[in-house]
Order: sequence, then C-alpha cells, then structure tokens
Amino acid sequence: MKRTLPYSVAAVLYAALMSVAWIIGTEQAREKTDAQLDYAILDFRSTIGGAIDTMLGHATEAAVRHFKIPGRHSMEEMAAVAKHLDLDELNIVDRDGMIIASNDPSCIGVDMKKTPETREFMKLTDGKTPTVAQPFRQHAYDAKTRRKYLGKPFPGGNGYIQVGLDEQRLAKMLPEILGYIFDEWLLGRTGFFLCADAETDAMISNPSRHRNEASTLSEAGFSADEAKPYEITGGEGAGETFVQTLFGEKCYCRCLLFGGHRFVPALPEHEYYDTRNVYVSVFGVLLAALLGSFAWFLDRIARDSDRLKAFFAAQEASRAKEMEIAKSIQNAALPAPLPPNPAFRLSAEMRAAKEVGGDFYDFFEPSPGKLAFLVADVSGKGISAALYMMTAKATIKNALMTGLSPAAALSKANAELSRGNTANMFLTAWAGIIDMESGKVAFANAGHNPPVLMHAAEGRGPEYLTAKSGPMMAYLDSVDYKPLSLTLKPGDALFLYTDGVTEALDGKNELFGEERLSETLGTVASNDPDAICRHVRVAVAAFAAGAPQADDITVLAIERLEPPHSFSRSFPPAQSGIADASAYLDGCLAALPQDDAEMFAPAMPALHVILDEIASNIVKHSGASGFQVDVTFNHAAGTAKLLFVDDGKPYDPLAHEDPDTTLSAEERPIGGLGLLMVKKMSDSLSYKREHNRNVFWAEKALPAPAKKDA
Amino acid sequence: MQTEKRLEGGKLTLAPAGRLDTNTAPELEAELKLDGVDELVFDLSALEYVSSAGLRIFLSAQKAMSAKGGKMSIANPNGTVKGVFDITGCTGIFTIV
Repeated sequence: MKRTLPYSVAAVLYAALMSVAWIIGTEQAREKTDAQLDYAILDFRSTIGGAIDTMLGHATEAAVRHFKIPGRHSMEEMAAVAKHLDLDELNIVDRDGMIIASNDPSCIGVDMKKTPETREFMKLTDGKTPTVAQPFRQHAYDAKTRRKYLGKPFPGGNGYIQVGLDEQRLAKMLPEILGYIFDEWLLGRTGFFLCADAETDAMISNPSRHRNEASTLSEAGFSADEAKPYEITGGEGAGETFVQTLFGEKCYCRCLLFGGHRFVPALPEHEYYDTRNVYVSVFGVLLAALLGSFAWFLDRIARDSDRLKAFFAAQEASRAKEMEIAKSIQNAALPAPLPPNPAFRLSAEMRAAKEVGGDFYDFFEPSPGKLAFLVADVSGKGISAALYMMTAKATIKNALMTGLSPAAALSKANAELSRGNTANMFLTAWAGIIDMESGKVAFANAGHNPPVLMHAAEGRGPEYLTAKSGPMMAYLDSVDYKPLSLTLKPGDALFLYTDGVTEALDGKNELFGEERLSETLGTVASNDPDAICRHVRVAVAAFAAGAPQADDITVLAIERLEPPHSFSRSFPPAQSGIADASAYLDGCLAALPQDDAEMFAPAMPALHVILDEIASNIVKHSGASGFQVDVTFNHAAGTAKLLFVDDGKPYDPLAHEDPDTTLSAEERPIGGLGLLMVKKMSDSLSYKREHNRNVFWAEKALPAPAKKDA
Repeated sequence: MQTEKRLEGGKLTLAPAGRLDTNTAPELEAELKLDGVDELVFDLSALEYVSSAGLRIFLSAQKAMSAKGGKMSIANPNGTVKGVFDITGCTGIFTIV
C-alpha cells in the first residue's frame, strides 16, 4: 500500500460527502425559506383579512345603531350614511331577505335568498349569528370592481344591514390600516415585509433598519419585471418565490397584489443559507477530522503492517535457520553406507521436508553375522524433534547392541524414552535384525507403518506385514512389545518407509496411500534396494506433482542375496596338485548355474593365472604338506575370489618387493614376476597368518557392465 | 597343451595352444630347440593365458636369441596375454607384431 493512498481516498471521500452535504443543506435552506414565506403570507392574509373585517364590522355596527330597525330609508339618507362610514354599498334587508333600502337604487327589491352568495347573509335572521363576512369578489354588475360584503343583524334578527367595500376604497385605506403593522413586521429573524402602492410605487411600510434608504420599492431594489406577482382573490395560494436584491441584500421574495398594493415579504438569503453554511462548515470540519484520522489510522496500519511483515520475515528467517540446523542434525544422525556384504544389500534414503520432521533410519551390526535395521518417525517438527530423534536413535541402538531382540530392545528403549519424555514427544518405529546366514528376520513394530515384503518368487506381489507388536513408543511407560519374525528367502526384499510416503499429497489433497504404494512396488523391475527406493521416490514425486512436501519421506529397502557359490578342495604339494587345482577351478565354473557361469567366464584367465602363481609358489617354496583352494563366485557382488590356505613356512606374498620391470631381458632376473602379476590382475588381496597357516586370498571383480542386475 | 611347430630355413615358428602355466610350460620349453634358428616367432593366437612360468620361457628365449644375434617376435597375443606383458613390463622387451 502506498503511503499516500489512504489520504487520497479520504480526500475524494471528503469532496463527495461535502458536495452531498452542500446539496442537502441548500435544499433544506430553500425548503425552510419557502416555508417561512408561506407562513408569512398566511399570516398576512389572516392579519389583513381580520383588520378589514374588524373595520367593516365597526362601520356596520355603527349603521345598525343608526337605523335601529329595518326601514325604507331614502336613497339620499343611505348615501349620506355610506359616505360617512366610508362604504361603497349600504343595504337594509328585511326579515324576509328583501333589500328595502340602499344607497344604490338598483339594489332595492333584490331578494337576498336568490343567489347562493347572497343567501349566506340570511343566517343573520336566526337571531344568533353576529356577523357574516365574505372575501373580495368580482362585482356582479361591474367587471372592474372587486367588492367585499359584510353583514350584521338588527337586534333579534329582525332583518340586517349589509355593507360593501370596493378594493379601490380599501387601497386608499390600507396605508392607514396596515402601514404601521408592516413597519415592524418581522419575518423569521431578519426578514421584512414591504408594502407599496401598485400605481405610485410609494412604500407604505419600511423596515425600521432601512427607513431612510428608500421610499419606493424600486429604490429598495425591487424590480417589478422579475417579480412573479400573485393576486389574492381569495381561497388558498401563496405565490411563487423569486429572488431580488433588496437594500443590497439578496432576498427570497414573494409578491402579492391586493387592494391596489404590492405586498412583498422578503427573506434575506443569509437567514437560512447562513445556517446551511454553518452546518456544512461544521460538518466539513468534523468530516475532515474523521476522515483525516481514519486515513491516518489506515496509513498507520499500513506502516505497522510493513513492520509486522519485517518482523514475520525475521521470524521466518530464524525459523528457516532452525530448520537448517534441525536438518543437519537429522542428516548427521544417518548412518554411513555399509561395506558390500554377500548376504544382503541395503539402500536407504531420508528426504527431509521443508519443515523438518523427525524421521530417521539406522542400520548396524549388533554382532557378527547379524544386521539390525530400523526406521522411525518422531512426532513433531523442528529442532526439538531433531534432538529427541537423536536421543531415541541412540537409545534404540544401545538396546539393540546389547544383544536384545528387536521386541525386547524396543521395550527397553520405550521405558527409557518415556521416562525422560518431558516434551511429550513420541515415535513410531520398526526394528528388525536379520540373520545373514539364514535370512531370518526378528522384528518388532511399535505403531509404525506396515512394511512391505517383496517376494523374489514370480507371481507373488508385494505383501504388507500388518502385524503390530504394540503401540507407539515413549507414550506409555511400560510396553511389552511382541516379538515377530519372518524369513527372507534369497532374492526377497523388505521395504520400510515412514508416513511421509503414504501421506504424500497431490494437488487435489489426495493421499498417496498404501494401495498406490503396493501398486508402485509391484512394478519395480528387480528387488535391488537401490531400484526399489528410487522407484518409490520417483512415483511419490510424480504423484505429488510439485505439491509441497509436508513430511519427511524415508525409505529403506533390504534384499537378501542369493548366497555366493563356494567351493573348497585341498591339493597335494606337487605340480600335479597345481594341475588338479586348475582343473578344479574350471569345474567350479562349470558347476555354476548357466547364467552365472557365463557371467564369470571372462574372469577365468585371470583366476587361472592367480591360481597358477600362488599354487606354484606354495608348492615350490613353502614346504607345506598340501594346500587348500576355496573358490567363491559372488554374483550379487560381481566378484570371484580365490582363497589359499597352506601349512608351510610363513610367507606373505604382499611383502615381496616387486621386481624392476624396466630392466631389459638381459638384465632382468627371472622370477618375482608371478606375484607382480597376481597383484596387478586382482582387485583386492589379503594375507594373514592364522593357526600356523598362511591364509591368502585374491579377489577379482567383474567389469561393471557384466554385473548382474546392473 | 599342444604346440604347433614350423621350421622354415632359419625361422622357427611356435604356436602354443591353450594355457601356458606351470603345468604346460615344460612342454613348450621342450619344443624350444634353437640350434640353427636365427629367427624365432611365437604365434600366440591360440593361447588363452600365460602365467609367469610361460613368461619365463619367452624371456629366456629372448635372452638366448639376443645372445646369438638372432631375432625373436611375438605375434597375435590375446587381451589377457597382452595384459600380462603390459603388467610385467615385457611389452618393451618383446617385439610384438
């Protein structure tokens, strides 16, 4: 994450939210302004309406008091009273609704019950209704005139007086009636109400704070062209809002036309828009603080996350170092390959996972002719598992070296390991001891994966040895592991492994499994341990197909070899004995199975030379009473060995100095060349004096391509 | 062992067959009569191997031929025999053709 990103995001967010706030604030201000103006007009209408009704009421009452009862007064008298009372129309209506006197002759004899508008006044005859007032309306006979009527009853509802007032007359009266009201009319906190004559534009009201600035609406800044005047004709309605600059201030206005006057309620913009500005500003500050701290917080998190990453990387590095140490401990604990042995071949491999587990294998000779071999898996990973593995390995080896059977050794090792097991580790182990002579394997399985017996015989597939001796080690204090055994026939092999093989996962989290292992082992070309281990390793790798290795993978295979073909015979110390020995050597080869005989045939000339040289040496120089020749063909090792035993005087052929082979034929003493040839023609030689006998052997290895199974 | 022997003028060709060791060396040695021979050839094409007993015969013969100013050569040794000559440094002594 870039450092500036949280701030950029916050800035964009701020701009967006502020725009929304501004729009909402403006909308609210506009609504409030409209509501305020609506209210002003409503207020105006009720105020002016009330004032006119009151004024007309007083005039009508005065007329009622003047006439006392309905009577047919002359038009002149009516006109005089109307003029006195400043009325346009004055009618006296009798109880039946007939106009019986009027200042307007055309009204006399009109029946008030005739039209719905006039019938309304008939309520005044019920003796209870004090007043009937109607709004300004178009005059029935004069389109230019708008007249308002009001009526009041004579006492007892005995007829009534109806008066009419025209708008033109009202216009003249308005400054008187209303001017002072509007002067101090407050609209909201800062609004005002202007009122001016529609004809002359002379203002009849002027807000006190602007009293000296203007005497007409135009001077105040009002433009009649931009106004959207609304004529009050009764009923509902409050006109449309428009904007004007009045007294230098931007104002939201309405314009009402009434009684020949313009009434302009005006609300300066700042009334509500200032509030909006304040709100939006406060919101802006709060939002900035909020987003700012949020961005700072995110930025901080990003920085902390970088620090955490660095911390974890350091942790990972130290962990990797630990794993490296654990791996080297684990690898150091593995035994070195054994020297070739005619009785068996063994191959083992441990591939540590990235996070080292606690696998190990071991093999050693607890006593001559026996080979112990084992595979184990310590629970847990890392250095602690590696160290515990070292302890476990030493403990088990010690127990096996004391001559105990695998079962007894594992029982003893278990007791020791569980006693010192403070780390609550445990291990599974499979240990066996093979008798190299008989092929018998005594073994014990402490909770370990079942090994696979691979038969040499044709048609017998791999076989799991599922027998268990007992549970895993170091878990229970005392376990008596059950001894188990099997016999490996020549050519049979045993395959041991850890769960890293069977629990290897492919990309789809599927286990390699025992079935697949069995199939894999069924397709190994031979029981050569190297081939078995390699085959399994390749199969597991192909199965995993790049999926990470989760656990150590350990494999160990041991094959019991066909015993070497050995022959032994003694010969007399004479040239005839040498001839017999030579024929005997040919006979030994002939006694081999055909393929072995073919395999060793190329070594025969060298063997004959060796035989001839050593035997003739014994016959000529040792004074022995005879000599024994042992011939051993080891097809597994690809070696042929000649062993000579004689009871003659001590003679170490290897101590003999080689002749100088650079001399010419003339200079060269004849003799000594035979031993040189033996040395050069064999691959290994040995001499020892044992029980007063010379024991000498020479071994010839077949050239590599001639080796069986290679 | 059998040894094929051919004498053409002063040139003696001996072709021992089989194995040349302590058992058979005396037989070849018996065939080695160098009177009147000024060129000696050992044809070893049928020889399986040679031990030091056989080598000794070749060396003795080489000495004898050299002493009387004659020539000796060894023809057609197989790999094993050639190996023995190499080991013992005889390759430089004998004229191998």
